[in-house]
Amino acid sequence: MKAIKYIIIVFIVAFIAYNSVYFKKLDEVKASLSQKEFNAPQYAAAFWNNKLIPNLDKAIDLTKLKTMLSSDPAKTFDVYSHALGIGNLRYFLIRGKGIIESVNENDVTVMLNVDSSKQTVTLATEYIFGNAVRDASGLININEFTNTMDFNNVSAEINKIIREKVLPSFKQSVKKGDVVEFTGAIELNKEHLDLSHVEIVPVQIGMSNEK
Amino acid sequence: MKRLLAICFSVPLTILFIVVFACGCKTDPSKAGKKKVAVIVSTLNNPWFVVLAQTAAAQAQSLGYEAKIFDSQNNTSLEADNFENAIASGFDAILFNPTDADGSVTNVLKAKAAGVPVFCMDREVNSTEAATSQILSDNYSGCVALGKYFVQQLNKKGNYVEILGLVGDNNTWNRSKGFHSVVDVYPGLKMLAQQSADFDRNKAMEVMESLLQAHPDINAVFCGNDAMASGAYQALVAAGKAGDVKVFGFDGAEDVINSIRDKKISATGMQFPKVMAQTAANYADSFFKGKKDFPKKMPVAVELVTQENVKEYIGYGKKDNAQK
Repeated sequence: MKAIKYIIIVFIVAFIAYNSVYFKKLDEVKASLSQKEFNAPQYAAAFWNNKLIPNLDKAIDLTKLKTMLSSDPAKTFDVYSHALGIGNLRYFLIRGKGIIESVNENDVTVMLNVDSSKQTVTLATEYIFGNAVRDASGLININEFTNTMDFNNVSAEINKIIREKVLPSFKQSVKKGDVVEFTGAIELNKEHLDLSHVEIVPVQIGMSNEK
Repeated sequence: MKRLLAICFSVPLTILFIVVFACGCKTDPSKAGKKKVAVIVSTLNNPWFVVLAQTAAAQAQSLGYEAKIFDSQNNTSLEADNFENAIASGFDAILFNPTDADGSVTNVLKAKAAGVPVFCMDREVNSTEAATSQILSDNYSGCVALGKYFVQQLNKKGNYVEILGLVGDNNTWNRSKGFHSVVDVYPGLKMLAQQSADFDRNKAMEVMESLLQAHPDINAVFCGNDAMASGAYQALVAAGKAGDVKVFGFDGAEDVINSIRDKKISATGMQFPKVMAQTAANYADSFFKGKKDFPKKMPVAVELVTQENVKEYIGYGKKDNAQK
């Protein structure tokens, strides 16, 4: 009877000891740690689908914005612009509608549907770089990032989404005279405001042939 | 009786101790009057860093604090001495421009252990836990803008060389990565060589001379700072190729702004040392007033200066705010 008792005790002790110590390969541990590293494509995709697109209705009408910037630039920058960093470069989430005036190698010129002032803007189709779309919505907080390169990579990945998903179909079908509705981001310099060369980085583009 | 005597001695001694301790606290120089802010800068041999240090000190003084500038002369051990002096002398905050991203971490941690907040300016330390906040030029994004302009100027094709700064410096690679994030998208642009000239004008001139001999068909050169852009331009003038090769720099130094105006250099990225210095001093002020949650890294926008918009700029800033 005693022997059975000892065998049970030894078995329990062995079972506990075996389950208390784990051996893992160093490679596996390192690999699991690297998986915790910031994943910029994943972050950018989640930002695009869950934050940016659902909030596009908050974009301000471009003609209205230009009027406000002409009359009260300081207040307009305070209320409508965003940027992750500090400095003169600020970003706006905008929307608008107009008629394609010309299709160029690197962009498309759009005549905005406004009064007789005939305002034109350009929709970028080639040079999709920079932080405009990342920053314009104001939905990303810089304190989410401990590493500078992480939020640089987020911009690069967002721009990649635009190049790969937004632009190809537009570039293929766009022609002079088309009516275009767009939502996108613009960069403006707070200190030296130039409203004569506004370039839009598109987030969404809708087209129709009706004028 | 013994107990009574002990009480008779111990009570006045305790009172005396409290009085002496209280007086001692009052005479602590760091607590007596104005708070003191140390500005520890990597070097005062380069005018760019002089502007940075003097602006930081002036801003701290304008906010009501004593300020003193310590020059580390690009020497990490001298920088360590400066930190020890600043901590021992009772400085309440340090506005810091590091000499070495890795080597300076220990100094910042020493200050942190002594309860002295450190705000880095322009150059970063490789630790997110050491400094209270790091206010840095957005080198990467500045070079993205510069890269885009570079591609436009070369119309997406041509041969170019890159002259890098110090290979151990984070800014060198942030600038290079930003530039290549754009330029590498265009296969028509071929990088023939990439070589370091340590942010030095004379070294860049020598590097460019040898690159021109090895690659006579260069259309453009991208330099990691303006001193090297000036050196590269000098080499191009000597080789009679100044009109054929486009030169791009980074910093916003006065001589390069003048060269852009004279159509010798194509473009540069304008950094704002005054904005970084003022922000660092303002952060220290907020810290003294109780704020504790600062962004670990705060990028300061870098602006593209070209021959088209150079009229709006002077060395180290914009015409309007540079004169403040």
